[in-house]
Amino acid sequence: MFIIFLLCLMALFAPILTKHPWNMPSGSALEAPSKAHILGTDDLGIDLWAQICYGARNSILVGIGSALLSSFLGAFLGIVSGYYGGITDLAVTAVIDILMAIPNLPIMIVAGAFFGPSVKNIIIILSILSWAVPARLIRSKVLALKQETYVKVAKGYGANFVYITFRHFMPQLFPIYATSFIKLISKAIVSEASLSFLGLGDPTSKSWGLILNYALNFSGIYFTDFWKWWVVYPLAFIICLVLATAILSRELEKVWDVKLSGL
Amino acid sequence: MTKSHKSKLLILLILAAIALNVTGCGLKPQQNTVAGSDEQKDFPLIIRLEGGDWGFPSPFAHYSRGPGMAKMRLIYDSLLEKGEKGLIPWLAKSWSISPDGREYTFVLNSQVKWHDGEILSAEDVKFSFEYFLKHPPVSNSLLIDGKPFIEKIDIIDENQVKITVSEPNSTILDRLGIVRIIPKHIWETIDDPKKVTDLDKLVGCGPYILTDYSQEQGAYRFQAFKDYWGPKPLVDIIEFVPVSDPVLAFEKGEIDLIKVPEDLMTRYLGNEEYKLLKSPAFWGYKLMFNMEKKPELADIAVRKAIAHAINVNELIEKVARGAAVPASPGYLPIDHIWHNPDVTKYEFDLEKAKALLNNRTLDLVLLIADDQKEARIAELLKINFAKVGINLKAQAVDMKTRDSMVKEQNYELALIGHGGWGQDADILRENYGVIVAKDSSPSSNVIPGYSNPKINELCIKQLTELDEESRKAMIMELQKIISDEIPLLPLYNTVEYAVFRPQKYDGWVHVFDHHEVTHNKLSYLER
Repeated sequence: MFIIFLLCLMALFAPILTKHPWNMPSGSALEAPSKAHILGTDDLGIDLWAQICYGARNSILVGIGSALLSSFLGAFLGIVSGYYGGITDLAVTAVIDILMAIPNLPIMIVAGAFFGPSVKNIIIILSILSWAVPARLIRSKVLALKQETYVKVAKGYGANFVYITFRHFMPQLFPIYATSFIKLISKAIVSEASLSFLGLGDPTSKSWGLILNYALNFSGIYFTDFWKWWVVYPLAFIICLVLATAILSRELEKVWDVKLSGL
Repeated sequence: MTKSHKSKLLILLILAAIALNVTGCGLKPQQNTVAGSDEQKDFPLIIRLEGGDWGFPSPFAHYSRGPGMAKMRLIYDSLLEKGEKGLIPWLAKSWSISPDGREYTFVLNSQVKWHDGEILSAEDVKFSFEYFLKHPPVSNSLLIDGKPFIEKIDIIDENQVKITVSEPNSTILDRLGIVRIIPKHIWETIDDPKKVTDLDKLVGCGPYILTDYSQEQGAYRFQAFKDYWGPKPLVDIIEFVPVSDPVLAFEKGEIDLIKVPEDLMTRYLGNEEYKLLKSPAFWGYKLMFNMEKKPELADIAVRKAIAHAINVNELIEKVARGAAVPASPGYLPIDHIWHNPDVTKYEFDLEKAKALLNNRTLDLVLLIADDQKEARIAELLKINFAKVGINLKAQAVDMKTRDSMVKEQNYELALIGHGGWGQDADILRENYGVIVAKDSSPSSNVIPGYSNPKINELCIKQLTELDEESRKAMIMELQKIISDEIPLLPLYNTVEYAVFRPQKYDGWVHVFDHHEVTHNKLSYLER
């Protein structure tokens, strides 16, 4: 939690935290970490710390953006299919099954190549591919909730779908929603990194994945000293963020599990 | 003296080894040095090179870039070959040109065998030229500005062929000489040669036979043809294998030659185990302007502003890591025999660029391939362009997509890198003075929306000028005009170093007009 908070702060206050521009060379190419450039510079002479701070915006934006979108999509479709059942349910579960069965990365690559590299497209593609898991969880929860007496009573009094969803389903579903949201964040961050890594992000934007991509594609980097800063630091940040979100979702699950069983 | 040198070297080596172990890259290149000369006689010499899919290596199906063409040329021979200094006799042991410059007579070597054992005849030569006119190959030298120039082909006797051309022209010998000779008995029944993908149809008379090709892996395996008519193949098997990181693969001995990045030069320089070969600067990047799609670019002031807003030295220092030379705005690179050093140059000057733009702002989309270097160039261009009021957006696509988008003229600005900058100066015509591109190769292009009568006229004149000195003078003038006009902007030409282990194979050589040692067949043959 603390790490995520810190990284978000870092992204928000990037202009204050960095004295060098993120999109312009401020030193000579591939300078080792020093006082002037605390994490060194990349091959264009752009300060790495600045790139990582600003890149955090992109990475976290993609992470949160696609998690938000896909968990919303997942929740909506999950509730609809759980509530209405019948053909709707059949259709949604079929799509879920398909999405869960096909490998995501190749699809992302094809889609990325097809729609062109941009942050917006990455977010959309990631969300389309990752709503299946929360949808399934939420659907099964809704199926259970539907049998609860108070829902049936509400229905009997003429409450409509929207009312029941907001009044009765949402509070119950929130824990599932939140944990899957957090899980999706970390998944999206890794996917963004791998997509940018494969060259499907905007080639001149900055994200952690892209920094890493350029570093790893630098010919013979492991035989030079450059990898010590150019590869290690962005990698460390990615790992930190992903681990932090993973731990957070674990903890949340624990906390809410207790609450859920207490109900 | 030598002793102290040696010991110094030894200490250095040991230190290097320790440093490597400490950094976790415990690769020991010394391990691979054992291959003795005795062993080589018993075992076939297998040379492995970096793979990649460059298409099925038939003259009709390979990819229109150097690596694709080179593989096809291992299988197919031509009348003449490009040697270290110039054209050399190949399938034709001699040739003569009539005084009016219209008749070319080639005397063929006798007893040249096709891979399937048949004997090559003058009939095959005639057939090849005629077939290529009907079915243009990927790399097509038989058209000038989209029109064929061969009038007729006569078989004089079983090993003499006379080709009559419609007009005398300074590039004909080169054009006829590099045409691949294909067997009549295979192709005469084939109507759609692009669709041929059977290995057993790939019968040539060149030094190598393709035994395996995997498109998915980008792997090729070539075996020496034991009845080859010409110089003995020294390499028994050439394999192109997929590698993820060429440097790592080379260090592990998985491949036998790489282009060494500038930062690793010290690793191989002065080490007896390795040998380095410097390439001539015949590979380069250029910036293409589409004046049809972006009429602003037709304004010469805008093109000049762009030229002044590009810091070529920074590109060379950062993207090429120093391994390049600035390209000439007159196109022919510094290593070209007819390079004109006195062309108009555009130094990096943002103020001048701003003045030329005169407070205009421009929005441009730059098409690039999804390649590290091109993305980096795009990023640096973007930074400097922003300072003069040009808003540049990079659009990255797959390399092959980029190549075809450039061909289809579907771009505003395009960055494209290719070889062939060392070829006959007629490339000036093929790049600046044509309305039809030569073939699908990225080294020749039409500039959309641009036509300059002065350039066009000179392009045609140099082509028909048979006197070398006056042709050279024209080429010099042409470069000057081009550099004043910059209808496209050459950025830089790379100077690469190939590194290899001479103990394993030491036959690598550059031919006179090409940058890559692995692309010419002389590198694999006895000399």
